[in-house]
Amino acid sequence: MLAVSDGGKPDLTMSEFALNKLEEVFTKLKRSVWVFHLNTGSCNGCDIEVLDVLTPYFDVERFGIKLVGSPRHADLILLTGPVTIKTIGKVVRAVKAMPRPRLVLALGSCGVGGGIWFNTYATLGGYPQLEKILKDAGVEVDRVVYVPGCPVRPEAIIYGVAVLLGLLQPKSKHRRVSAVEG
Amino acid sequence: MVKFLKMLSISVREGTATRKYPFESPLVTPEFRGKIEIDPVKCVGCGACTRICPPKALTIGNEGDEIVLKYFEGRCIFCGMCAYVCPQKAITVSKEFELATWELGDLYDEVVHTTVKCRICGKPFTTVKFVKEVEKRIDNKVPEDLLTVCPECRKKLTARKIGSKVVGVSGE
Repeated sequence: MLAVSDGGKPDLTMSEFALNKLEEVFTKLKRSVWVFHLNTGSCNGCDIEVLDVLTPYFDVERFGIKLVGSPRHADLILLTGPVTIKTIGKVVRAVKAMPRPRLVLALGSCGVGGGIWFNTYATLGGYPQLEKILKDAGVEVDRVVYVPGCPVRPEAIIYGVAVLLGLLQPKSKHRRVSAVEG
Repeated sequence: MVKFLKMLSISVREGTATRKYPFESPLVTPEFRGKIEIDPVKCVGCGACTRICPPKALTIGNEGDEIVLKYFEGRCIFCGMCAYVCPQKAITVSKEFELATWELGDLYDEVVHTTVKCRICGKPFTTVKFVKEVEKRIDNKVPEDLLTVCPECRKKLTARKIGSKVVGVSGE
């Protein structure tokens, strides 16, 4: 696990930490990432793909990625599901329990934009809505990567982790084209 | 010990099971459906795809004087229904699935259409290309005065016409 100490400055506030220490932290993070799998009301499609990534077939342990049982040991949360109303409290607690830097990988259509449950009464509709609640609760998340897919392919998860660690530049770009007469 | 030797012979015969994904091409079958691509030349902005889309990843709406067809990859479930219903065959399903990004805004694709304004109330109500396509498909048989009238005004116009015919009341 990557323990991040503040280097003898325990009175550093959280936002100061994010501004000053984050670069240093990411150079340390290049070593190895421990992940915690957080299901927030997913249909289990993405969860099966997460397990698939951890099997010897894709074997992410060759990159040092390891599944841990507690958010207190983790650097990265694999968030699947559209965040149902019932899970909000537990999700906030799990994210809060993670040591800084907090990294989140929002997986699947549900995690990114709510999927087909984007506007139901029982769900929040993905990570962007949860981010506001986390902000209100005073929980800062240092970096988020959105990985769409329904369910996400194991290759897409590996690609997402590579993007998160800054090994790759994201391919997706916002495109706005005008409809040409033809 | 004997068991271990047995495993050794099997592993030598079978080789390595692990895929070297970032260093080799991903396993993508011909049936695989990835992100969709909207051809801005063929798209007329009819909105058939936005009505069939199960998670409403495709939306169409007015932005000032323009009509914008928005595609949010982050909500897409890659079912391919939009490509199936598109009357112009403007939507194709690609094999692209490596869509991970920092910014939510990077996951939006937009096609901007120029609009036709209603000749009575002056509100933009449909796209220029859609009106042209309708004209083409029904061999220019639409009365010229109805083609550039928005649905609301068309109702009133038709009611007035019927009124003037049946009752003999003048439309104005």
